[in-house]
Amino acid sequence: MSKVLLAIGTEKGAFFLTSDQKREHWEIMGPQLRGWKVGHVMLDQRSAPKMFACTGSYVYGPTLNVSDDFGKTWRQIENGPAYADDAPGKLTATWCVAAGHADEPETFYAGVADAGIFVSRDGGQHWRELKGLSEHPTRAEWSPGLGGLCCHTILQHPGNKKRLWVAISAVGVFRSDDGGGTWQVKNEGLTIIIEGKTHKNIGSCVHRLVLDQQNPDHLYQQNHRGVFRSRNGGDSWERIENGLATNFGFPMVMDSRDSKTLFIVPQESDEFRFPKDGRLSVCRSTDGGDSWQTLRNGLPDHAYTGVMRQAMAVDSLDDCGVYFGASGGQVYYSRNNGENWQTMPFLLPRINSVSVSILD
Amino acid sequence: MEKINIIVFIPSLLERSVGGKREVNVRASTVQGAIAQLLIDYPLLKPHLYEANGALREHVLIFYNSDNIRWLDSLDIPLRHGDTLTVLQAVSGG
Repeated sequence: MSKVLLAIGTEKGAFFLTSDQKREHWEIMGPQLRGWKVGHVMLDQRSAPKMFACTGSYVYGPTLNVSDDFGKTWRQIENGPAYADDAPGKLTATWCVAAGHADEPETFYAGVADAGIFVSRDGGQHWRELKGLSEHPTRAEWSPGLGGLCCHTILQHPGNKKRLWVAISAVGVFRSDDGGGTWQVKNEGLTIIIEGKTHKNIGSCVHRLVLDQQNPDHLYQQNHRGVFRSRNGGDSWERIENGLATNFGFPMVMDSRDSKTLFIVPQESDEFRFPKDGRLSVCRSTDGGDSWQTLRNGLPDHAYTGVMRQAMAVDSLDDCGVYFGASGGQVYYSRNNGENWQTMPFLLPRINSVSVSILD
Repeated sequence: MEKINIIVFIPSLLERSVGGKREVNVRASTVQGAIAQLLIDYPLLKPHLYEANGALREHVLIFYNSDNIRWLDSLDIPLRHGDTLTVLQAVSGG
């Protein structure tokens, strides 16, 4: 029977929760990478399973680590992403690892702060900077958000390998149509918060970017200034906030089996980053963002906590499982598409990321 | 100058960078040489101890016996039997 594996990155290590497909009882392993700040954890199963963890330390800096046994043991990648000494940016954090195309199992992309993207063609052993992004003509006018100047999301078109998108806080969305050699700003229709002195189209703080794999001209984002979608590959964006009491938040995820279904976790505002009135809620759209419903059966009423941008995930089982981790260390989950929620019986360190995989 | 073996103490967070050990042996003739050899023998340590520009990370301490190497005018100090290097983190508070 398939297993469900939740990988949770926290401020003090990574934790792994496993269950069968019923998702009723969970076993915990961890902390792995004990003591390290763990951001994104990504399991790739295109060939032999390989798991990456973005790790960091206030003292010892950022690295990438890899596991071949689903998180039990880890080894540091020696030739990980690194900027040259004279680069405009400094490597302060590794933010995400994304798998390349389905027929290129040795290709991976890594997003880092200061914002940039690296590619590996040998399974993660060596990484090359895609300088077209980190040395973009607008680079001198990029400003960071509270979480740093981070390239936190990398997406690849499922059919067209040359098309990539990245999301950078607090700069915006960029798209490449030549495999990462050159990049164009894709912020039309988004609210610009920190515009550049000469480049007026940068400075939108995109919190999370999601691609519809079934209709890859469709993207969605949770932005600092609202919730948006694009139906033309990012060329333009429109607001999709009908039914939302507030439009501020960080994570956004899509049901991979039904790409019209999206989930977000709204907060009161950018000044007060906790649930409105303390009522922790998840909002779901089942029509591609045309409308939203608030779901909170089983979620607490007095929960003054946050949910980080990478701390939410959806599994690919029937009646999809939805999972998110709070900055207070609680893990909440639903086994029925968000209708009802439960709390995992574990209290973890501050949760930075949640990802879910189905293991056959 | 004679090369001798000294012990380098490694903090627990960096154990995996040195094969799971808390102490490693390094063979060198000077303090400078010992640090350089440490990074040759254990290259995974380098990005954790040093910035890309070669500067020691701000919150990393390396002690030569009881001296912070930042206090020393030069690291071209001949090593003696029993000398140690200790890597520590300079962090206080919550």
